[in-house]
Amino acid sequence: MIPARKPPMATSGIVPWLRDNMFSSIINSIISILALIFVVLSFFNLFQFIFFEGHWERVWANMKLFGVYTYPLDLLWRPLTAAAITMGLVGLSAGLATHGEDGGEIMVGVFWWFFALVALLAVLGLIFWESIRFAWLIVALANIAMFYLGKAVPQLSKRLMWLWVVGILLSFVLIAGILPADSNPDSAFRFVKTKKWGGFMLTLIISAFGIIASFPLGIALALGRKSKLPVLKYFSIGFIEIVRGAPLIAWLFIASVFVPLLLDQSPDKIPGLYRVLAAVTFFSAAYMAENVRGGLAAVPKGQTEAAQALGLSAWQNTRMIVLPQALRAVIPAIVGQAIGLFKDTSLVFVVGLADIFMVHKIVSTQPESLLITGGIRLELSLFLVIVYWYFSFRMSIASRQLEKQLGVGER
Amino acid sequence: MSAKSTSSQAAEKIPFYRNVKMIGALAQIIFVIIFLLLLAFMVTNVLSSLKKANIPADFSFLSRRAGIPISESPIRYNSQTDTYARAFLVGVLNTLKVSLLGVVLATILGILIGVMRLSSNWILKQIATVYVEIIRNTPLAVQIVFWTTAVLLVIPPRSLNPVKLFGGGYYSNLGLALPWLFPSYQFMAWLPWLIAALVLAIVAYGYRRRQIIKSELPGNPWPPAIATFILVSLASYFLLASSSKLPDKLVTTINPKSGVVHSYLDSNDNGEQDADEKYLTHIKSDVNLAEGRMTVNTQTLTESRKIVYSEFRFPPILQNEFDKATVDFADPEAAKADGLKIHFYDEPSRGVVYKDLNSNGKFDSGEERFTEGEKIKGYSTKLVLDIENFRRTVVTDRDGNARIPRFKHITDTTAKAVESGPSSLFGGPTAAKDENIKELEFDVKPVVTGPLVLSKPSIPISQYFGGMSFSAAYLGLLLALVIYTASFISELVRAGIMAVPKGQTEAAKAVGLNGLQTFNMIIFPQAMRIIMPPMISQFLNLTKNSSLGVLAGFAEIVVIANIIGNQTGANVPTNILIIGSYLTISFAFAIIMNAINSKMAIVER
Repeated sequence: MIPARKPPMATSGIVPWLRDNMFSSIINSIISILALIFVVLSFFNLFQFIFFEGHWERVWANMKLFGVYTYPLDLLWRPLTAAAITMGLVGLSAGLATHGEDGGEIMVGVFWWFFALVALLAVLGLIFWESIRFAWLIVALANIAMFYLGKAVPQLSKRLMWLWVVGILLSFVLIAGILPADSNPDSAFRFVKTKKWGGFMLTLIISAFGIIASFPLGIALALGRKSKLPVLKYFSIGFIEIVRGAPLIAWLFIASVFVPLLLDQSPDKIPGLYRVLAAVTFFSAAYMAENVRGGLAAVPKGQTEAAQALGLSAWQNTRMIVLPQALRAVIPAIVGQAIGLFKDTSLVFVVGLADIFMVHKIVSTQPESLLITGGIRLELSLFLVIVYWYFSFRMSIASRQLEKQLGVGER
Repeated sequence: MSAKSTSSQAAEKIPFYRNVKMIGALAQIIFVIIFLLLLAFMVTNVLSSLKKANIPADFSFLSRRAGIPISESPIRYNSQTDTYARAFLVGVLNTLKVSLLGVVLATILGILIGVMRLSSNWILKQIATVYVEIIRNTPLAVQIVFWTTAVLLVIPPRSLNPVKLFGGGYYSNLGLALPWLFPSYQFMAWLPWLIAALVLAIVAYGYRRRQIIKSELPGNPWPPAIATFILVSLASYFLLASSSKLPDKLVTTINPKSGVVHSYLDSNDNGEQDADEKYLTHIKSDVNLAEGRMTVNTQTLTESRKIVYSEFRFPPILQNEFDKATVDFADPEAAKADGLKIHFYDEPSRGVVYKDLNSNGKFDSGEERFTEGEKIKGYSTKLVLDIENFRRTVVTDRDGNARIPRFKHITDTTAKAVESGPSSLFGGPTAAKDENIKELEFDVKPVVTGPLVLSKPSIPISQYFGGMSFSAAYLGLLLALVIYTASFISELVRAGIMAVPKGQTEAAKAVGLNGLQTFNMIIFPQAMRIIMPPMISQFLNLTKNSSLGVLAGFAEIVVIANIIGNQTGANVPTNILIIGSYLTISFAFAIIMNAINSKMAIVER
């Protein structure tokens, strides 16, 4: 007779899982316990700070500053309409993406993430913000309605590009205004000086402009760097390496000093925003060029040879064969760069622009904030962390998903 | 294109405007012309507008006297006498100071987090993941502001109530001060010995290496080399230290009013420092004071986001530094009439003034916050600290100075000087102007030291003295840079380790290596080959990101160049200087790192 043996150790359930993943050896157990204590203490302190100690009323009281800075209150509907237009286009693009083969679910995932934020703002608006009570609700409705429109009418995808161009131009006109301010001081369409733009709106404007404008420039520089013509090649290399060799903050200073000098204008004639946009575009273009170069290198040589065999000219080859493949491969890198630029816009404070980061510095020195014991810098920086993180985190996940789907970076 | 042309004759028939080479050359010429025209346009514009606005465009300002106070400098810098060029150099060195240490720490932390993310321990993995996902997706600017203005300047205690670190360091909202070894007057005598030790170590290494190769057995040539170096340098150190004598004509003085200890070489024996007589750095001295008195006011402070009421803080005096110390009210009768009492947190340096409201004879929390006329919450009254036989050993810094707390003479009961803040405890011109006040009886003796002298920090008041100190601005910037960059490095490390084929681990197990050996000797070296090139660009990013030092108030290149630009109006040259120095640093960094990288990379199969 074989003696009865004990049953084998369980391999599923909570206890075995804990044993395998946290307490597999004595050292592992000690580490796990210490780590657990660390996590519990951190969470406890954070919880206590957020819910009991923090003076969040100062952040709440300055929501308008954080959003649009000193943009005139009576014209607030204009940036909000611009928000409705762009969020509508985002919704439409996401809706249309559901029909495409790849990238669709990723885009939809991003859409829901941002819709959650817009919906939250709509609820907050309905309850608290009297002056713009229904505005965010409209933005949220535009967002979700356009999503389902895109889902229902796939034919719109042919027009999507043009809709974006028109939408962005319209948004810009809405924010900037069309009528001179001095003749009609109360007009609903009067100019709003760029000095009054600010807050998160400015952060988005600078990063969106930077990434869009640097795109063609970056492609040109990347092609230039791969070119066989020595002048173009060394010019591109020189530009890329010099721009990448110094930090953005230095280029921002340079732009603010040099742009008026280069154009032989007095410094106050060229608003700080335009100088910053110039610096950000050129800076971003150098990095974009390096990303695109990586994509160009990934296109197999056979593709170019096949194009030559078909009798395509060098330009046709680049435009129709090489670039489409190269750019497809670098989408994740470009998303990554967009996140980087979005974070880097926080540096525009050095030339006096009031993006959301600068607003936090302004709020921290308001008399009411200084009255609070120890100041409210901790609250403000945590608030900024949450805002920046909400956008960057989801985009970086999307970038990784795209990378996986395109098979880039897989060995 | 050329594929179509079957012979050279056919190529010649192509008209010049369709010849690829011709088009290329033409395009380049046109490009150059446009570029030159644009350049000429811009240069003329710049020159004309510079002239119009009367902005200096040359670098002649660099040799002028700077007059910029810089709180933190790796080299000796005097804002009164040094030039703009030297001020800018301080900025460059400060950038290097934060980036070099930052690179080392970020690599260590990055590898640690990267390994944690791959660990089999679930909770470690989660901590690392949360760390990376939060830090990577938040701007560095926010993190710098968070660490400096929200944490390091606010949470640590103030300088008169510092955290005392093991070994004699201090930590407060002024930053960190650590005991540090400095070369003393004898160091130059030791230097030849050190070089000899190094040479001997190299000889030992070479000898042992040849032995190992000859024996064809595994071995490590490093231990004998290191042992030789340590043995020779230590032996010579103690030899020199035992026969050490103080330099001839060394004079150490103390200014009884400011408490500044100064050491110099009095070459003509006239008892005072003449213009040509050099001060001596890092001289250890014993300072003795028979009796002295300090006064402070109690005050209400904001500390660690809380209000601290009615506290008094004398400069920290340790228990072994005096025979007897008594703290009392400057006006004991009035205090008694008010019913005030003193409670010590740290006798005799720190305590609180309170009123025994519940008459239990001791201090209860809340009793320092008594209201008087319903309005006064804190209480401001003057306290005196009388001390007997105060003694402290100080080491002069690189300016030849050291400091002790500022004392008054004990008979100075009529002390009228109103000193409210801790920063006015010394250095200010307010006190001791009265002719009647007697001089304090100091006894200052220089002490014999070996080639190295240990300088311990002391008296953190408005700044640290002695030892090596790191300001809160520096620490905040360093911390933010390290934490931010480490999150990127950890991702590189993770990807690199995952890219090492699994067969390598299995093979290592098969030859009997344990887990740690497998990682150290098999996985990590191979992963490093993959990690190194992107890591170099992260190091460069860290260096460039140190330009955000302005947010921490750390005087690096951009900050100093902008101050210079604002003072002189020479914004154009200073911006060229900024770009020039970053490009130099970047390229030097890239060259060094690529050299290391090419040395490390195994030749491709």
